[in-house]
Amino acid sequence: MFLRSDETNVRSAAWRISLWGTLAFALGTIIIFIFLHRFLSYDIQRRSDAWLSGEVEVLGDIAERTPKDALYSRVLVEVAELVRKEIPNRNRSDGSASDSVFFLQTSEDGSLKLWAGASTSEKTLKAIRESGTLFDLPSDLHVNGIAIPFRVVSIPIEDGSRIYLGFSERDQLRVLNNLRLRFLLLWLLIVLLGFAMVFVTTRGMLNHVQEITESASRIGRSDLNRRVPTTERKDEVAHLALTLNSMLDRIESSMHQLHTITDSLAHDLRSPLTAIRGKLEMLLSSAANDEQIESIVSVMEEVDLLTDYLNQSLDVAEAKADALRLARTSIDLDELLKSMVDLYRPSLAEKGLQVTLRSAGSVIVEGDAALIHRLVGNLFDNELKHLPAAGTVTIQLRANRELASLRMEDDGPGFAPDVLNHLFESRVKGKESSGHGLGLAFVDAVTRAHGGAVTASNREEGGAMITITLPLTSSACSAERPATKGDPKHASSLSFSLK
Amino acid sequence: MTSNRSITYMFMRLLLVEDELHIQGFLKNSLEEAGYQVDAAQDARSAMSLAIEETYDILIVDLGLPDQDGISLILQLRQHGVSGPVLILSARRSVDDRVRGLEQGGDDYLTKPFALAELLIRLRNLVKRNGQPGSEVTRLRILDLELDLLRREASRSGQTLQLTTQEFVLLEYLCRNAGRVVTRSMILDRVWGIRNQTNTNVVDVQICRLREKVDGLGRQSLIVTLRGMGYVLKER
Repeated sequence: MFLRSDETNVRSAAWRISLWGTLAFALGTIIIFIFLHRFLSYDIQRRSDAWLSGEVEVLGDIAERTPKDALYSRVLVEVAELVRKEIPNRNRSDGSASDSVFFLQTSEDGSLKLWAGASTSEKTLKAIRESGTLFDLPSDLHVNGIAIPFRVVSIPIEDGSRIYLGFSERDQLRVLNNLRLRFLLLWLLIVLLGFAMVFVTTRGMLNHVQEITESASRIGRSDLNRRVPTTERKDEVAHLALTLNSMLDRIESSMHQLHTITDSLAHDLRSPLTAIRGKLEMLLSSAANDEQIESIVSVMEEVDLLTDYLNQSLDVAEAKADALRLARTSIDLDELLKSMVDLYRPSLAEKGLQVTLRSAGSVIVEGDAALIHRLVGNLFDNELKHLPAAGTVTIQLRANRELASLRMEDDGPGFAPDVLNHLFESRVKGKESSGHGLGLAFVDAVTRAHGGAVTASNREEGGAMITITLPLTSSACSAERPATKGDPKHASSLSFSLK
Repeated sequence: MTSNRSITYMFMRLLLVEDELHIQGFLKNSLEEAGYQVDAAQDARSAMSLAIEETYDILIVDLGLPDQDGISLILQLRQHGVSGPVLILSARRSVDDRVRGLEQGGDDYLTKPFALAELLIRLRNLVKRNGQPGSEVTRLRILDLELDLLRREASRSGQTLQLTTQEFVLLEYLCRNAGRVVTRSMILDRVWGIRNQTNTNVVDVQICRLREKVDGLGRQSLIVTLRGMGYVLKER
């Protein structure tokens, strides 16, 4: 499982943590082993050297004491054979143990005098001569044709000859090789096991973090009652989840508080407004003359304005606190804009204004239809209020993979510079504006509540420009619309020329 | 403007559940004037007992009742076999999901403050929807104005009117409600699908253009403006 190398796993923090952790562990254990190994091989060497030196001294002693008669060589060879059978670190199963030791005596002139051993005496003698040392202290000797070096020590004898005792390092190397092999296997096993354990535990922990992140990001404005998953454990991750949840509790309760306030404010003001409006309507139906009708109607219009102002300012207040409740449905912006253009066309025409809609077909967003209608309506109302006669309003609807963009341009005087930077704040309006200054604040608030952004600027060639971007629905993303990808030539231009 | 309606709805029994007495007062008056037989309740408990004792053709329920939530009252009434359609009144800002559910189940929803004319039309539509569905009309005729709903053509005294698609929809809506007041926000809702009341002057301009085409050339004026209320298409 932990060797699965699909990209998400390799990229995950769990993978990296376990990789680096295991690497550090593996390196550390290797270093410790190297020290151990060196200590061990030195110790083995020291022991065998001590044995070698001791034996060679015994041999020398015997060689000196044995009378130089016919039996001399036999005695020495017998002793040497005995020595050869007493070798240390010996592997019992190895029948050819005696191969590992040789005994050599050279005469004064360096020629071979006596020999006991498995390999050829000539080669050994040749190697001793070529090595150029006297082997007073134990040292290595490489004999041509034998892979494993001998540990050789020599001792001079009174008659000028020299006794060499060589001991193959084969057993010693085998012990160390054995050690290395076993260590390597064990090391690999431990490292792999360690990696697996670290990976599994960190992945378990980080998966939980990932779960928390995912569910936290899924908790939108509309479903604040949801919480991130918690566990029974009492570790840092569980603590993170608990902290996030208590934070969500606080957010939910303050949002609930805000909703309660706006709701009760709406309720408390709407009820009397309903009564006032109803009574005015009843008065109107019994009004005697035009003068009475006019005054009642003007009061009713004021009541409607007040209601409208109340609704919009509560919407803006909620949206500013990121608490606007949206009733999301799929909206085709293209259709919506067509019907809004259709609705506003005669009113714009009455003021001598032209309107052009450029759209390349349907653009679907998830949104609150009533709020988006109101948003577009506010943009049009803005043009109706501020654009001088004979002006042109151009609306452009585009979409790329993620965003729908709605741009409204005109060729009027543009925004006053002192207003431009505060355009989307509540109660900011131009000097000549007669509105309540909520229109564009509402546009901004609703766009933000839908996860979009709005920008306003003056065009270089003159005139105002407001651009609204809204995220597309995920399903709409899959349906490619190459024609809308920034190529206005493909856009079917719907142009409404007025009067 | 109410004389013809009182004949149609003479025997319609209506239960009005509204806790605000001054709203209840004027609603009761105007509903009775419109020909309904109105019983009023101030809270959910009395509404419940009234609804079980009597049989009502239609109910108006305010959501903000003192003793119980309006929606749970409606659901309780439904459990007790009260089947009449309900017009929900609400002063709340957000539309509850349960209200949407009721809306889909055939009930209607109206936000305060509302125009009386709109309340009356919605009531009428509720009653009509719950009655036997009349055969689908393909032609509408009001005096000398004739609408062919299949071919989307309108004519006045045999003379074809040059209307845009949207103008035809607007005229059709007025004709379907001939003789009754329709408000500007109702027109926005039904003709343009806009439920959030925007600048209603745009409707005036639309009506003005439509009137030029329908009532122009010295014909008898059919589309009448009622100041402060809306528009009505005369049927006599």
